[in-house]
Amino acid sequence: MPSIEGKDIKSVVVACEAGMGSSVLLTTQLAKQLKPHGVAVTHSPVNRLNDDTADVVLCHQGLVSRARQAAPNSVVIPFQMFMGDPAFAKVTAAITNGGTLDG
Amino acid sequence: MSDMVAGAPAAESGWRANVQRFGGNLAAMVMPNIGAFIAWGLLTALFIPTGWAPNESLAEMVGPMILTLLPVLIGYTGGRLVHGQRGAVIGAVATMGIVVGSDIPQFLGAMAIGPLAAWVLRKFDDFVVPRTKVGFEMLVNNFSLGILGVVMAIIGFLGIGPIVTSLTTVLGNGVEVLVDNRLLPLASLLIEPAKVLFLNNAINHGVLGPLGVVEAAEAGKSILFMLETNPGPGLGILLAFWLAGPNKAIRLSAPGAIIIHFFGGIHEIYFPYVLMKPQMILAAIAGGMTGIMTFMVTGVGLVATPSPGSIFAYMAVTPRGNFFGVLLGIALSAIVSFVVGAALLRFSKSDEEPDLDEAAAQSAANKGAKPATPEA
Repeated sequence: MPSIEGKDIKSVVVACEAGMGSSVLLTTQLAKQLKPHGVAVTHSPVNRLNDDTADVVLCHQGLVSRARQAAPNSVVIPFQMFMGDPAFAKVTAAITNGGTLDG
Repeated sequence: MSDMVAGAPAAESGWRANVQRFGGNLAAMVMPNIGAFIAWGLLTALFIPTGWAPNESLAEMVGPMILTLLPVLIGYTGGRLVHGQRGAVIGAVATMGIVVGSDIPQFLGAMAIGPLAAWVLRKFDDFVVPRTKVGFEMLVNNFSLGILGVVMAIIGFLGIGPIVTSLTTVLGNGVEVLVDNRLLPLASLLIEPAKVLFLNNAINHGVLGPLGVVEAAEAGKSILFMLETNPGPGLGILLAFWLAGPNKAIRLSAPGAIIIHFFGGIHEIYFPYVLMKPQMILAAIAGGMTGIMTFMVTGVGLVATPSPGSIFAYMAVTPRGNFFGVLLGIALSAIVSFVVGAALLRFSKSDEEPDLDEAAAQSAANKGAKPATPEA
């Protein structure tokens, strides 16, 4: 299972089915929080992910096995809810305060 | 060591990922082109003889756009997914063979020939590029694409086009039988559960949209665009969670989700609510059936796929004279989903529900054997 230190995270990608709907919504929200820390937040269809896409991949639990298949060496963090999921807080906390992310 | 949200990986079986991936590829060919679909839908709604501002000359754009432009865009995008820019170009060339050999909008055909042509070119490139002499790359690249493009267009014209035409006719007739016998609401039994498993785009853009467009090209509107995209059932479910949700955090999150779902058209926002209370799928099905029944009885349809499935997109593609039935169907499906959903939530409330966020955070903290990271 890959892992990454919070301070090494330079890019986060949010993946959804089409890369046009829910992922864009989350990207705008996360970018506001993470941009001051020099972290780029992008969005992508889950089919187009690969290990070079970003340091950390966020996607809904229903798509997580496809994300892991597409980017086997990236840290993939699943979430359940599109708003207020603890996964987002976890990623933000690791980036702002340090800590290790596994996934 | 893993500190994933409880039960994450085992929850998904292989077939589901495979179906999702296949459907995702179909949707990925259509969704980047939705803007062009909307342009076509607006032209149609405005300028055809039954439209808002009938105009014979401007209406001449309607046919070529649906029969040629949109399939070529799909073939182009499908080719690009397989083999980048070169794949896109050969995909578009090959799609022309299908387009010309047929008098229906060849969306399904374009979804087949575009990626196929690009795949053939990729195999050819894989073999030939390492063997090409220095200085001849451009010559070889241009002519390989041109020659293979012609071959694929002819294959499309003679083979794939006619096959897809008969397939589309068979599927279209099947739908007609369902409509004639008033069985179309049964589609909700499949559509609503598949939706919350994130097959929503695959079903709508991969299957229903291409069939709907054939019907809309003839009749000026189609009910098939409304089967998956009706925002009513999701609205009812979120309302039920707002007023009868199992805990405070969920109840408080529902209003924001309602705005994103109903006005923004991002249906994905309500799927997690159903997944956390799977019996709520019954509310979605009941609402979906009510909506389809209403659309069918009032005889309404849309001119193009409302994408995203927002109330605003719905209003934009509703043809003249169909607003009452469309709005009634959305309203009734929301009401039915709400009533069924609220009843289901009340009924299952006896056991004390843990707060979802707390439960997930708790399990994350339990499993991660590290100093707990402070929550932001």
